Amino acid sequence: MDISFLIFISMAMFAIGIIGVLAMRNALIFFLSIELMLNASNLLFVSFARLWGNQIGLVWVFFVLVVAASEAAVGLAIIINLFRSKQVVDVDQYDVLRG
Amino acid sequence: MLLGTCLGLFLPLAGFLILMVSSNYIGRKLTGIIACTTIFIAFISFASLLLIYTKNGMSPTTLTLYRWIPIENINADFTLFIDPLSLLMALIITGVGFLIHLYSIGYMEHDEDFARYFACLNFFVFSMLLLVLAGQLIVLFVGWEGVGLASYLLIGFYYYRPAAAQAATKAFVVNRIGDFGFLLGLLLTFYLFGTSDIEEIIKRAGEYAVGAPILILLTLLYFIGAIGKSAQLPLHIWLPDAMEGPTPVSALIHAATMVTAGVYLVVRMHLVFMQAPIALQIVGIIGGVTSLFAALCAVGQLDLKRVLAYSTVSQLGLMFLACGVGAFYAAMFHLTSHAFIKALLFLSAGNVIHMMGGTTDMKKMGGLSKKFPKTHWLFLIGVLALSGIPPFAAFFSKDLILEQDYLAGYYTLYGIGLAASILTAFYLTRAYCLTFTGAPRLEDKILKATKEAPAIMLLPVAILALLSIFGGFLGFEFGKPPPLERFLEEVGITLAESEPNINLFLRPETWMSIIGAILGLGSSALLYTLFADRLGHPLSLLRKSFYIDEIYDKVFVKPLKAFARLIAQIIEPKVFDNSIQAIVRATWKIAHWLQNLQSGLIRSYVAWMITGMVLLIAYFVS
Repeated sequence: MDISFLIFISMAMFAIGIIGVLAMRNALIFFLSIELMLNASNLLFVSFARLWGNQIGLVWVFFVLVVAASEAAVGLAIIINLFRSKQVVDVDQYDVLRG
Repeated sequence: MLLGTCLGLFLPLAGFLILMVSSNYIGRKLTGIIACTTIFIAFISFASLLLIYTKNGMSPTTLTLYRWIPIENINADFTLFIDPLSLLMALIITGVGFLIHLYSIGYMEHDEDFARYFACLNFFVFSMLLLVLAGQLIVLFVGWEGVGLASYLLIGFYYYRPAAAQAATKAFVVNRIGDFGFLLGLLLTFYLFGTSDIEEIIKRAGEYAVGAPILILLTLLYFIGAIGKSAQLPLHIWLPDAMEGPTPVSALIHAATMVTAGVYLVVRMHLVFMQAPIALQIVGIIGGVTSLFAALCAVGQLDLKRVLAYSTVSQLGLMFLACGVGAFYAAMFHLTSHAFIKALLFLSAGNVIHMMGGTTDMKKMGGLSKKFPKTHWLFLIGVLALSGIPPFAAFFSKDLILEQDYLAGYYTLYGIGLAASILTAFYLTRAYCLTFTGAPRLEDKILKATKEAPAIMLLPVAILALLSIFGGFLGFEFGKPPPLERFLEEVGITLAESEPNINLFLRPETWMSIIGAILGLGSSALLYTLFADRLGHPLSLLRKSFYIDEIYDKVFVKPLKAFARLIAQIIEPKVFDNSIQAIVRATWKIAHWLQNLQSGLIRSYVAWMITGMVLLIAYFVS
């Protein structure tokens, strides 16, 4: 497969993630978008590891996966707690840290 | 040697610390015992040093306790210096100080702050001992300031009385002016010699030509310090006000500690002063003028303690007068005899004041000799002694000062001194007559309650009376040089002119001073016993002490207060407050604007983050 195609896919996924974070107010979608961005970078790692025959990129992917998994565990717990406090998952409702 | 000195010096300090820390736990009796024994042991240790000295002979010794300020090219160690002069001073301080301590037990028996009083008293003695035993001027300065602090604490002992608090502040502030001069002198000393070791200074000053301007400046700066501490014109104003403290404190300030510090400083540095004859003349002139001025003021006072206070100023003036003509031995002799007599006068006056419940106004006294059968004799001894009636102590010392003036050819100063000593006899007799003779002017009720002082207040006074009677023979002996002179001669403190008078009543000057004393005494006695009822108030010029306080108030205090008010009410709020307010407002505005950035919305943070990321990428890529 052409490397430029893979880079394009990855960038697209990342851009979708950013837009999701910026435009969506639902905390779950917010969270999904972050996962999307993480996986965009994973894709890039794998592609370049394959391109240059280098296994270090693959190792990094595992790291990112581990981080993403633990983040999912913590993040979901946070969202559940947020929901418990205000019965909504709209991130704009939680602006108590406003200066 | 080291042990004796350290014991003598630091025991009063230990007493002060013990009393300060444990004032709440120990009883009044123990407090008195601790305070008195520390001073007494100090006295014993100095006395034993004297014994060693007279037996074996003792060269002046410097004891270095430790290196105080380790700076290169500057020698400022913590040293003590023992020689006959400092030993004499230490003996006076601890000896008279001990008697005053003993007396205070009786005087302060009803006071609540018994422990605080004795703690301060011990600290006073310690500071003064440090001052006289110091081998370095900078150590001396520590004692110098300690004495100032102790006097502040004791003058303001009745701090709840506004007059006492004011007097304490006044004493401290006026002393500070003098101390500033001394401090400048100290800095100049370091600049010139790189050391403050007294022996070294004297040695190095000897290398300058006689009358070198820098030495004149140096000695005058020292003398400004001496003026402040010894209450000479124009800084004498604090001493009469210092009477607000308890009477034994006045005795301590006037007799043993504090005011003698200035005279001691001049005598200690006398070899430097000799190198600057002009400065020495200024010392003599200021001393002479002060002695006459203060004697005149004393004549007009209506307060018993203030008479004695001005008398001290006058006698100190005589001591400086003696220094001025180079008769340092005469100054030290008079200092010694004055210490005994003034303590005697103050303590016997204290008996009267204490037993009458704190009255010091002579208008309310009179006819008290029946009520105080013992005290009035003691006071009379003091009066006769300080008036210069032979053979009491001050006759010899004051006569010696006048004689030296005369022989040195300072006839004006001699005249001033003679006038001052005639006035001394006059005002002391006046004080005696107004207090003890004539008809009682007190209300009957108080008069009935008044009785003779208890034994503990009479015993120290009696000892002082003995010293006042026989103390003169320290400096007089038939047919040979007196013991005090032989003692002090080794440190080069001798008479200016000729040998001391070793035969009684030989010189016309001696007759002059005796006649003068009898004249003053007699005229005053006549005036204030026979014609006491017909006399009006004293001249207000004299009663108000030549309006010096009022003049200072107009010239210095009022303008300073106006200046302070200008700063406090105009410059401070308008300039400083406003500028600080402006800074506060600006900060607040900026903060308010920056506050908008922190919206609390996660998405906006993310947006900012991405913006930053993009900018970073753009920066690195381009």
